[in-house]
Amino acid sequence: MASIGKIARRTFLVGSVAIAGGVAFGYYAVKKPHKNPLLDDLANGEAAFNPWVKISSEGVTLITPHTDLGQGAYSMQAALIAEELDIEFGQFDVDPGPPAAAYYNTAIGPEIAPFRSTDESFQANAAREFFGAVGKLTGIQGTGGSSSVPDSFEKLRLAGAVARETLKKAAAEQTGVAIEDLKTANGAVILPDGSELKYTELAATAAEIKPVQNVTLRDPSQWRLVGKPMQRMDIVPKSTGTLTFGIDLEFENMHHATVKVNPRRGPMLSYDASAAEAMRGVKRVLPVTNGVAVIADNTWRAFKAAEAITCDWGPAPYPAEQEDHWNAVANSFTAEHLDNEWRHDGDADAALEAADSVVEAEYRAPYVAHQPLEPIGAVIMVTDARVDIWVGNQFPRFAQQQIADVTGHDVDDIHIYGQYVGGSFGHRLEFENVTLAAEIGNQMRGEIIKLTFSREEDFAQDFPRQITMSRGKGVVGNGKVDTFDLSIASVSASESQFGRIGLSSPGPDGQIAAGAWNMPYAIPNYRMTAYKTHELAPTSSWRSVGASTAGFFADSFLDELIHAAGADPVEERLRLMDHDVSRKVLEAAAEMSNWGSPLGPNRGRGVAFVESFGVPVAEVIEVTMTDAGIKIDKVFIAADVGKIVDPVNFDNQVKGGVVWGLGHAMNCEITYSDGMAQQSNYHAHEGMRLHQCPEIIVRGLENAEKIRGVGEPPVPPAAPALANAIFAATGKRIREMPFNKHIQFV
Amino acid sequence: MRLTVNRATYEVDVEDDMPLLWALRDELKIKGPKYGCGIAQCGACTVHLDGIAVRACSITTKQAEGREITTIEGLGTPDALHAVQEAWVEHQVVQCGYCQPGQIMSAASFLSMHPEPTDEQIDQAMSANLCRCGTYPRIREAVKAAAAKLQGA
Amino acid sequence: MKRHSIIASAVELGFLSIAGVAFSHGSGDDQSKIDLVVNTPTEAVSREEGLSAWDRIYAVASHPRCSNCHVDESNIPMWSGPSYGKTRPHGMNINAGISRIGIESIPCSTCHMQSTVPNDIAHGAPHTGHAWMLAPVEFAWFGKSSAEICEQMSDPARNGGRDGDGLVQHIIHDAEIEAFIVWGFNPGGGREAAPGSMQEHLDDMVLWTAAGMPCPAE
Repeated sequence: MASIGKIARRTFLVGSVAIAGGVAFGYYAVKKPHKNPLLDDLANGEAAFNPWVKISSEGVTLITPHTDLGQGAYSMQAALIAEELDIEFGQFDVDPGPPAAAYYNTAIGPEIAPFRSTDESFQANAAREFFGAVGKLTGIQGTGGSSSVPDSFEKLRLAGAVARETLKKAAAEQTGVAIEDLKTANGAVILPDGSELKYTELAATAAEIKPVQNVTLRDPSQWRLVGKPMQRMDIVPKSTGTLTFGIDLEFENMHHATVKVNPRRGPMLSYDASAAEAMRGVKRVLPVTNGVAVIADNTWRAFKAAEAITCDWGPAPYPAEQEDHWNAVANSFTAEHLDNEWRHDGDADAALEAADSVVEAEYRAPYVAHQPLEPIGAVIMVTDARVDIWVGNQFPRFAQQQIADVTGHDVDDIHIYGQYVGGSFGHRLEFENVTLAAEIGNQMRGEIIKLTFSREEDFAQDFPRQITMSRGKGVVGNGKVDTFDLSIASVSASESQFGRIGLSSPGPDGQIAAGAWNMPYAIPNYRMTAYKTHELAPTSSWRSVGASTAGFFADSFLDELIHAAGADPVEERLRLMDHDVSRKVLEAAAEMSNWGSPLGPNRGRGVAFVESFGVPVAEVIEVTMTDAGIKIDKVFIAADVGKIVDPVNFDNQVKGGVVWGLGHAMNCEITYSDGMAQQSNYHAHEGMRLHQCPEIIVRGLENAEKIRGVGEPPVPPAAPALANAIFAATGKRIREMPFNKHIQFV
Repeated sequence: MRLTVNRATYEVDVEDDMPLLWALRDELKIKGPKYGCGIAQCGACTVHLDGIAVRACSITTKQAEGREITTIEGLGTPDALHAVQEAWVEHQVVQCGYCQPGQIMSAASFLSMHPEPTDEQIDQAMSANLCRCGTYPRIREAVKAAAAKLQGA
Repeated sequence: MKRHSIIASAVELGFLSIAGVAFSHGSGDDQSKIDLVVNTPTEAVSREEGLSAWDRIYAVASHPRCSNCHVDESNIPMWSGPSYGKTRPHGMNINAGISRIGIESIPCSTCHMQSTVPNDIAHGAPHTGHAWMLAPVEFAWFGKSSAEICEQMSDPARNGGRDGDGLVQHIIHDAEIEAFIVWGFNPGGGREAAPGSMQEHLDDMVLWTAAGMPCPAE
């Protein structure tokens, strides 16, 4: 395992350069299945048929390695296993399992392939297969990129089927009844006479036999769970305060810790903790990387003591003032910053040259924070022999490596217990809480410590979304969009994020262009060019990543061109669309919103379409200009994910994505002054609150061939649909987020 | 100090100005009230003081002494849900769920004062509880459903 | 927690009276003490002196610490001033209702406690020794001019039925219970304080009322 961690570091290369020379070896290594991590600590009489199902005489445990960040991943994974295993909610426990290569993500890899998701050519699919293979080879266990459903959909049903058939085989051995005469239901094998053998009663026998590997998946017409409304297993615990989040963990003799780290992300030059050390309940003040940690007997006492420590902070390794961040981005539209020309259909230069008039516009998207409601933290105990850490993280195997780098343990001896997480939006892809907990634990070996960030510290140490700008040039004629030439300059969130854990990302950053280069439009002259700004403040993946900004730029500019052409925003998008699944999505949103029907005075309707993570999404937004500002009345949204696993959770995720996209586009930015983020708590960065939330009408389509996740794709079209609606209502074109810098909202 | 939480009495030895939230969470190990912001911006820590919602992060333990403190654990249990919790379950409101104890406590207090709320009142009463996942459409539905349940009860 | 104690005494020596108010802030021994002295002028106060005092009163009354809660019948408190960035209605869709204490939807007391402990949490919901509330609607002066507020404050129908002495006593009473005016000069939590001090404000009120409450022209 230790060696796998190291291999992962060497071979996990994001981007196209990794292709060269890797295929042959990769293919060989990919053929070898990873070992089943559950076999390591099975008790007597316990059976684990594959890495996802564990059965003992005590009960059935389904392993759900995708981290549950609130998106319902545990329930979704359990439902897929249970579908084939013939077991019902309430009859099993779930456990995220240990970090293991066997839980490699099959869906993140293929997304790295630089082909439009609508491209089903041999070349495109071969590249996806290759990147998928890299994922398996390196054992990247990850939750992100809306990949949990696509990764799990087949794999986990297979896991359930293997377990079911193996249990039937065990029942046949135990009873002498032929396998063909056995059925399964409700967590039991049913004998021909109608009597039942519970799976738990078969565990001991099943543990002795070789798992059946030759199984076929059921026809969708036989599905009991998939596609039908479910009740997530965490609904009742989360509605009664009985669900334990990581921050709620309690252990005997546990210490409560917090940290105070340089808000400029530079070094700590010196500190004076004398006042803090004298405060009630304070046990230790320890140095950590770029800051200090306080260990106390109560979280609040730790917070108060941290406030009382005076620190001399070194300067920020990036421009101290926000204006200089913008200048750096604005100055990046140059040849030396060229990251990639992602698309060039027709001849944009010639078209612009020949045009009588060119439509031009410039857009901006600021840094935005993640700030899920559960502050980051972890519970840790480091001993000479091992590290035990209780934390929800989206890359648990990278987390192991990060901890190992701090404590010097073998990654095999680092035991991570995944926890329910109170929101992430990309925050739990990062490791600050993990490494700082490890630093504290390492200095207090043998003690169990809960680290909790204060909200202010969480804001100060968050890695916001990329800061980025876009410049568009376009030509229209005869009521049509003729030329769409969009340039985007951005810092690379991926490079910043993976660079922090020592991973290089050669090649261009596809996220800079995500949602902008892959629009399913046959515009005669369509060019999309990405420029990379050197790192400014460190950034990270933020729900929907590049498409949250590039999608705003691209769809907004297209809308401007359509208006310049005097065309209808829906009609012209439909006319340009060259992808059938996408067309149906846009048609659905138009139909739902009764597009074209008259609205009252001071009202406006805007449409946007962005495809991200392989999911085409269209949103129509209706607004009213009131005396107190813009009121968002309704959002109509259609999305095609191929297959909806749970319509209830789908609806909730889509609405949440709309709220996320709108709230931050309207209200939020992170700005730097004196090297520090100026927004320190929710009063200055709240996203959306209930009163601003419109009515949201959702329709899920299932025309796409591949199944996709929906955690992120509803986000990108929200901002442009709102800006386009505000333009329709007021004539004012908003080209910069947050919109409230330019217009008031109710 | 003597605190009465969910009808049980506890002795705590804390500073007068320790926010009630931290006495509940770290001293009494009552984890339903959540820490989200510490400045009454998010409402995740909402508890009832003599039946009325307050932010446990912004009230001192001393101020809560001698008063009836109710946390989400005291409102209802998985086997005996309060009407508001029933509505929350039926409408499957939660996503990450971290804000929901506070949302539910706010809604319960609000509905006890306003059994037949208007949409405008709901929007005013529930906008001081922050949900980062965006469960607001379901919160609105659940508050209305809970009001109907409480009326029927 | 110690209760705050009020020591009131009357002293003469050319002054009408002195109200000395001592405060004990919550826990610990750190006691801050504000002695308010009513410096009754021994000679007549000119209109010019009165107007000049009014200018300083206006600077206090129109300061965000005061005016944010002296709002009109919309019943929506404001967030304005350097602590907030651009002027906006109180976040969270707060509406204090006709009750001016929020009982129509969400009581102010949900977040704003009634307490005399220091307001030392940055951006926290402030509190005072008086229950949090909007000023009565007839005292609305957010965004109004100096002349308008002056007319209001000198009009018993729009100042709580107070004459000059009543306005002075209002400030003294506020100090006794550590209410909103005291807080305005010491808001804590990183908020910008109203200009001047409680004593200077009292002095100005004494001068302005002694001058016959003169108001500036529009």
